Amino acid sequence: MLKNDLIAKNPMGAFSRDAEGNEVARMGLVIARPGLGKTAILVQIALDSILRGKQVVHVSVGQNIEKTKAWYDDILGDISAQAKHDEMEELKLSVRRNRMIMTFNASTFSRPKLEERLNDMIYQDIFRPCCMVIDGLDLARVERRMLEDMRDLQREANMSIWCSGVIEREAQAAVIASQTLPAPCDALGDLFDTVIMLHPESGDESKIFLNVLKDATNRMAPGKSLRLDPTTMVVWGATA
Amino acid sequence: MKKDLEKVRNIGISAHIDSGKTTLTERVLYYTQKIHAIHEVRGKDGVGATMDSMELEKERGITIQSAATYCTWKDYDINIIDTPGHVDFTIEVERALRVLDGAVLILCSVGGVQSQSITVNRQMSRYKVPRVVFINKCDRTGANPKRVTAQVREKLGLNAVPMQLPIGLESELKGVVDLVTMKAVYFEGDNGEKIREEAIPAEMQAEADAARETLLDAVSMFSDELMEAVLEGSPSEEMIREAVRKGTLSMEFVPVLIGSAYKNKGVQSLLDAVNAYLPAPSEIKNTAFDLDKGEEEVILESNPNKPLVCLAFKLEDGRYGQLTYIRTYQGTMKKGDTIVNTRTGKKAKVGRLVRMHSNEMEDIESAGPGDIVALFGIDCASGDTFTSPDVNMSMSSMHVPAPVISLSISPVDNKAQGNMSKALNRFTKEDPTFRTFVDHETSETIISGMGELHLEVYIERMKREYGAEVSVGAPQVAYRETITQRADFNYTHKKQTGGSGQFARVAGFIEPLEEGNYEFVDSIVGGVIPREFIPSCDKGFAASLEKGALAGFPVTGIRCTINDGAAHSVDSSDIAFQLAARGGFKDGYLRANPVLLEPIMKVAVEGPSEFQGSVMGSINQRRGMIIGTFEEGEYTVVEAEVPLAEMFGYSTVLRSLTQGKAEFTMEFAAYRQVPRNVAEGVIAAARKAAQEKK
Repeated sequence: MLKNDLIAKNPMGAFSRDAEGNEVARMGLVIARPGLGKTAILVQIALDSILRGKQVVHVSVGQNIEKTKAWYDDILGDISAQAKHDEMEELKLSVRRNRMIMTFNASTFSRPKLEERLNDMIYQDIFRPCCMVIDGLDLARVERRMLEDMRDLQREANMSIWCSGVIEREAQAAVIASQTLPAPCDALGDLFDTVIMLHPESGDESKIFLNVLKDATNRMAPGKSLRLDPTTMVVWGATA
Repeated sequence: MKKDLEKVRNIGISAHIDSGKTTLTERVLYYTQKIHAIHEVRGKDGVGATMDSMELEKERGITIQSAATYCTWKDYDINIIDTPGHVDFTIEVERALRVLDGAVLILCSVGGVQSQSITVNRQMSRYKVPRVVFINKCDRTGANPKRVTAQVREKLGLNAVPMQLPIGLESELKGVVDLVTMKAVYFEGDNGEKIREEAIPAEMQAEADAARETLLDAVSMFSDELMEAVLEGSPSEEMIREAVRKGTLSMEFVPVLIGSAYKNKGVQSLLDAVNAYLPAPSEIKNTAFDLDKGEEEVILESNPNKPLVCLAFKLEDGRYGQLTYIRTYQGTMKKGDTIVNTRTGKKAKVGRLVRMHSNEMEDIESAGPGDIVALFGIDCASGDTFTSPDVNMSMSSMHVPAPVISLSISPVDNKAQGNMSKALNRFTKEDPTFRTFVDHETSETIISGMGELHLEVYIERMKREYGAEVSVGAPQVAYRETITQRADFNYTHKKQTGGSGQFARVAGFIEPLEEGNYEFVDSIVGGVIPREFIPSCDKGFAASLEKGALAGFPVTGIRCTINDGAAHSVDSSDIAFQLAARGGFKDGYLRANPVLLEPIMKVAVEGPSEFQGSVMGSINQRRGMIIGTFEEGEYTVVEAEVPLAEMFGYSTVLRSLTQGKAEFTMEFAAYRQVPRNVAEGVIAAARKAAQEKK
């Protein structure tokens, strides 16, 4: 019960499946100014797959395992505060089973390194991720080459890859107005199928919106906006 | 002899396994002229380190029991407790920290912050122990104190700032730059006993200036005086030390020192830091509960003239009889004094009083506040408080983790039988994490503890110290049972065999309890069960928890509520209600969907990246759940949760998988439900075993 409910509330569900419910692999990007909830959205993306029994790799660049784990625990605790004890335990168990955290130092993160660590698991059939979220990449510094590598990996492995990127606070208004990517992401925009932005309503920081800037797969029309719960990043109103 | 309390330090040395705690202690004893030659932990001379006095410790090159010692450095009296690094002996660390005022956390400059360092750091935080960090083994290939400091900040969340810079690293390690005095310090002579101070090498000047600035920035927070002096550009060494001390005592700052104990570098500076930055006994707030005033919290003063309050933190049964280690907090204890054990109320006379130095001892006349000494011939348990007869106070006890593994032992012959029980008697007294009991159904002696090594060491000690040869069963995981749903019961106990019979009816329900082991709820209204029999029901339920009906393991996490019942004016009795409660429990238990729980261990395997695949494969085969992987320099660490039942013999498997290049640590994480298919096997085996023994 709890699971289905959470799947339905997940704002990112629309991106992971097509109208018939088949998995859609894509390369996605979440941008927002600092502190709005990029990591929380990435966790929601991961949960969307995990709750449907798929496996997810959570790559954390520059953060440790404990902190990353804490993100999941906090968000799970918040969205299912009303849930029964045993249902909650089962939920936590499926998260532990289907999530793998990999942390990297910012200076050493590269596709060969990532692949080396991924392949070890995939060849032995320990873990078969259908989705990977990458948190903590610095888009202003990252080499285009690296993202192209990721794009290739995404296509070859036929899995979804979602990255997060920070934009300047000042750039936010211009992006909302123009619905185009701000610098420094604009030069990288072509590598992503989907780009979404998180932003608060002007003047009211407690209202957070998810705004679709680009979606090459046409699951959500560009310009579409969805209000989210600011602490858990689930669709607003669904958590009553 | 009147001691200056300001110049007493009670410190502990703890760290991850093999970081060099004992090696460091050996150096400390040498420089403070307690010993006159250095023996290495695994030295070629075969003597073994002074602090590893147990034969087994010398052989295995590990510390099993924490050893207390005492030394003097620049007229400061330092009591040191060297603790074991292995997680199986965690109670030793736990009780050492309970009585210490400050600690040195040793980290390996190559290994950095390892899993056990995190555990130790957490324990230190629990007992609010101010600490300094010593980054050891800077002479080893791959040493990187800078990276380790960053890890301390990130992984341990400590505000750690270097007080020194290394001059050269790895095999080139020559000395350190002291950022307080701004001098280069070299350690020369055969054993590094000659200290030579010089100007900072020119090529390091810029680096040293920058590091000093970082240090000043960080510590000027703790002293306005220093802040002003820094702005004016003339902070004195005294001011800096004062500020570092303040920060350290408030636990908001951690000074980082570096060196290599093995190569005799930096140990004296560490001793200076212990004197300068770690607290004197009077600077730590210790509290006790006044039992005469409803457990009111009282602050203990380090005043030798106040009534005595001290804590027995460790018992040892050696060749001289029972030795009780005691830390005095308040007052003075003299030979011939009468002291009272608060827990039992029993009085005792202080006979022989000694200061311990590993396995040698020194007789003393009295012990004042802040002292760590040992008493002879006092009967007590670990964690008991002793006071003078005029007060009635108790100190809080230590955290004792529950054992996770057990095995059955049986003596090989009659002689061993007696010796075994003697040995067990002593071990359980000394070590609260080591338990033993006789399974009444099978008449087997079961010992349980914190890990394979823990039990192995005790079995070995039984053989060596008591000549008790035992045959050992396979290690058993300490399974537990719990229920997953509510179930009602209604049970009548009736017996009519002539004379007065037995009658009691108990009804109610059992349900899962989210936190805690057991709860009893009395919802009886209208006195259908007379008041005096309510505790009998409680007792009956509690007794049922010892052995669950599923597979005979202890039951946890259960709430028993009674809401109805009946009594008979003549035939009802305490025992009748106890039996009725047991019957009710049994009646409800199997319908409450009982499940088996098993201990899950948090396992971290560290090794070269090329073996990561095989490591993960091996964990996967063991029903392990890989939580994640992270980089640690050239190494990759795989973090996973694995059932303890699957971890037996893992060290051998890991060694052969990785050519001996990977190592693993594990510690207890939680009890979790055993998957159904596995549980069936465990239950069947437990039932079969019970059948056979009958």
